Amino acid sequence: MPEPKFTDELHKMESEYEPLLPIEKKLIWNTFALGVVLLIVFVLISRFF
Amino acid sequence: MSTLVEVPPKVQPPSVAASPPQPKPFITEDWLAVCIGLFVFVVSLGLLVGADLLGWAVTTSVWTVPGKALAPVSKGYPHLPGLAALLLTYLAMLAILAIGAKALGANVARFAAGFTVIFAVSYACWFLGSWAYIAATPDKRAALKVPWSLNLTNESGFIIALLAGLFVGNFLPGVSTWLKEAVRPELYIKTAIVILGGFLGIAALEQRALATSVMFRGMCAIIEAYLIYWPIVYFVSRKYFGFSREWAAPLASGISICGVSAAIATGSAIKARPIVPIMVSSLVVIFAVVELMILPFAAQHWLYHQPLVAGAWMGLAVKTDGAAVASGAITDSLIRAKAMAMNGIAYQAGWIMSVSTTVKVFIDIFIGVWAFLLAWVWSAKIEHREGEKVQAKQIWQRFPKFILGYVLTFLIVLAVGLAFPSLVPKVKTSMGQANVFRAIFFVLTFFTIGLLSNFRKLWQEGIAKLAAVYVLCLFGFIIWVGLLISWLFFHGLVPPLAKG
Repeated sequence: MPEPKFTDELHKMESEYEPLLPIEKKLIWNTFALGVVLLIVFVLISRFF
Repeated sequence: MSTLVEVPPKVQPPSVAASPPQPKPFITEDWLAVCIGLFVFVVSLGLLVGADLLGWAVTTSVWTVPGKALAPVSKGYPHLPGLAALLLTYLAMLAILAIGAKALGANVARFAAGFTVIFAVSYACWFLGSWAYIAATPDKRAALKVPWSLNLTNESGFIIALLAGLFVGNFLPGVSTWLKEAVRPELYIKTAIVILGGFLGIAALEQRALATSVMFRGMCAIIEAYLIYWPIVYFVSRKYFGFSREWAAPLASGISICGVSAAIATGSAIKARPIVPIMVSSLVVIFAVVELMILPFAAQHWLYHQPLVAGAWMGLAVKTDGAAVASGAITDSLIRAKAMAMNGIAYQAGWIMSVSTTVKVFIDIFIGVWAFLLAWVWSAKIEHREGEKVQAKQIWQRFPKFILGYVLTFLIVLAVGLAFPSLVPKVKTSMGQANVFRAIFFVLTFFTIGLLSNFRKLWQEGIAKLAAVYVLCLFGFIIWVGLLISWLFFHGLVPPLAKG
């Protein structure tokens, strides 16, 4: 089987665009929100304890 | 396409399967690093029972007369010439690593030949970096009788080794290919990190409150890599660059978490084809080199009054274990030199590097958990596959085992020091001897990272779009958010002052 080339992969991605699924949006948003909340909590802990 | 980074057999590209079969590895590189690191660590502890087993290992002091630079690390070997100590050190490392190469299923003869060249060039770089005109700090110039110096400390040898590696990797690719069997920066750095655990143990014994604080804050800071960087990079690469999920997830992990290991673990977790983690890993290595060349000097310029912020920044911003810890080492020496030159403050060596290492190690610990979570999300929610279950044992399979060695050496030193305080000076001397090998493994890492970084080849692969995401994310927010978070957790903390 021929080895795929990155340039071919790019062309394929351009022609077969995969839109963001709701579950992906949820993953992105929840992960980020959790990160920000934990960041605030840990900064407070490290400052006051 | 030949790979620019080492990847496990399961993600080798199809073309590799056509080459003659290699012997099955007896051990993984992670476990081998644990074995070698623990071996050096245990042998160095011979001093506790009066056996100076590593005292013959070579050290290089800052020199003006080359003939006086090399010497055995211990005063217990007063009649051993420096060159003989160097030869013994080379032979000992060759013997241990050749056994390791055999266990990895490598071609031992080719490994030995390659390692000999790599050791020779790397140590020559280290030696050159110790030249007083390059290395001497202002407080040492009078004693060394040099009117000026670049004030880079002897760890400038790391930069010289990196530049030498880059030169060979990019302009003499035939040589680089010939050395391939011994070009194992991950093995070298992981071994160094295992040895480094003992040093951190000593630091923790001497400054318990500061060490505890560093570990807690280091653990806190890593949430950024997983929970803030990852979703942003994934979003940017999906939304604005149109990458598919198969490419975006390993790319996000590679840029956000820990380069090669994370890209491979994520690629495997979401069942991406082998080309994906390989290309991402190649990119990660290249950019890690770029960061390694820039960030330590930026940290020296702007953060010399906040040394531990700089250390954490290296751990968070520079990808791959090798480049991150190496950046920490350079930052450590550069900042100490500048703090001495500007403010007359002499910080203890190693604390800045320890913060970089602590942050990096905590990041590594969670790669397995992260890969497990992604595997679950992908199989259950995104690309649902009937009857497929994600097993918790994957967490252990993805766990970077060399961290166990690091934790073990740290805990042993801490336990011995707490149980027998009178032994602390001897343990400290032991770790000083082990540190000789740690430094050599570091310089080997720098040189071999350079060897692997073939910029031209990567460009020919048409990787510009992938690189564009990397540049945008890295210089657009990863470096700056990393700096902010390092500042939030580490500002105000400074290393202890050097004694004397």
